[in-house]
Amino acid sequence: MSDTKKFTYYPGCSSQGSGAHLDRSLRAIAPKLGIEMEELEDWNCCGASVGHIEGGRLANTALSGRNLAHAQAQGPQDIITGCAACYLNTYGVAEKIKADVKLRENVNEALGAGGLKYDEDRNVRHACEVIVNEVGLDKVKEAVTNPLTGLKVAGYVGCQTVRPFAETEGGGAYDTFDSPEFLDNFIEACGAEAVEYNPKTACCGGSVAVMKPEKTLHLIKKILDAAKEAEADVIATPCPLCQTNVEMYQDAINKQYGTDFNIPVVFYSQIMAVAFGMDGKKDAALDQNIIKATKLEEKAK
Amino acid sequence: MTVAPPEQSARKYDLGFARWVRDNVNGGSKMSMCMQCGMCSGSCPIGTEMDQGPRKLFMMIRAGMKDEVFNSSTIWNCTSCYNCVVRCPRGVPVTYIIQDLAAKAVELGYVKDVENARFAKAFWWSASKYGRTDERLVTTKYYYSGGLADFFKKGLGNLKIAMGMVKTKRMHIGMPYKVKDTKGLQAILAKAAEIDARESKGGAQ
Repeated sequence: MSDTKKFTYYPGCSSQGSGAHLDRSLRAIAPKLGIEMEELEDWNCCGASVGHIEGGRLANTALSGRNLAHAQAQGPQDIITGCAACYLNTYGVAEKIKADVKLRENVNEALGAGGLKYDEDRNVRHACEVIVNEVGLDKVKEAVTNPLTGLKVAGYVGCQTVRPFAETEGGGAYDTFDSPEFLDNFIEACGAEAVEYNPKTACCGGSVAVMKPEKTLHLIKKILDAAKEAEADVIATPCPLCQTNVEMYQDAINKQYGTDFNIPVVFYSQIMAVAFGMDGKKDAALDQNIIKATKLEEKAK
Repeated sequence: MTVAPPEQSARKYDLGFARWVRDNVNGGSKMSMCMQCGMCSGSCPIGTEMDQGPRKLFMMIRAGMKDEVFNSSTIWNCTSCYNCVVRCPRGVPVTYIIQDLAAKAVELGYVKDVENARFAKAFWWSASKYGRTDERLVTTKYYYSGGLADFFKKGLGNLKIAMGMVKTKRMHIGMPYKVKDTKGLQAILAKAAEIDARESKGGAQ
């Protein structure tokens, strides 16, 4: 029997920009976890949280419709993505189409203009849910050859990875909306210490932080304050926008609040890559963190 | 595209606008379930940056305060954290309603110089032209949309961040990434907009 399960992998736009290190490390650890990821053919943007404003509701839905149509053509396997927004949109649209005959009709009429169709259903899954439900913590532990003993990690989940679907049956019912445990479990499975960290699902400001940071710096400060208080060496997150926001605004926060934050923010997949004994740069992509995760780098092979 | 909401009436509780929201806004059909408990506003991480929390906004919809609702900063400062959605005891999809109210505010011409609307424009430009979000071009275009002074203020303010992104290969340099079949993608989006116009109630022209 094969221990590998095949998925259609949707990397999302951030994989070619601010979240390139999530993509790189996720692709690296997947085979170790028995996840085969075949990239989604000619994938496009999911619309994030603003596409509908200028594009309109159906056009924004059609973006995910196009990705789902390509996934259908690619095979019956589930779709996997590491990006919170890509997951939220693609899963949300797939479920909506499943439940709404008229919407399916409209989306397909639009897709027809591009020679595509989506007349079956595909499951869309977040990489973290797959690791919890499909891979299992035991297998994560088995893959660890370089336990990160002594590394103190603040597990910061953010919003859209778990909300609004993590507790729902369709979302895999793998954790809670308010105090998810999966990330701490990943951290501990890697041999590191998951420090007590309360703002687990606090909001970083999302895209509002990108447009109007002055409105959201106080949100990011809360996330950093708690990590500092817990004496974390590093903050770990699954979300590309959280990673970028919490990392890149530390200077602005220091300026505004007179603080001295310089806390590295990494992806859980970067931590796993190091714990799995993989290359710190090529696989864990630690060279792509602006604030260097020195203690994690020191542990990398 | 969407039929215009009724004119604001002098009567204090004119349900005309609430009915319009019910029929035209994504998730609006569940608005009547709202019991004004305030769970949404209490759970909102960014309520302090809003003219009012979602609870009050919903009451304003019931009170027929159309202009005040569409001009409210509440619809623009929602960070889409979905706390309110998962916590609402009556299953009101608060985030979805607020997101769509923002789209309707643009569609109905309420929005003049709202940063989020300019950002959304820059975002859709990239998504519909290339099929991908080029973060570099979207942010540049967005900064520029606020005028030259704003461009320099925002751009220079973030220069260090941008340099860090370039250095760590997290900002793409060169021609934008795009889908192979841009023509097909654009045909799909154009068709979708056409269907939207055809299907929206009273939108026949």
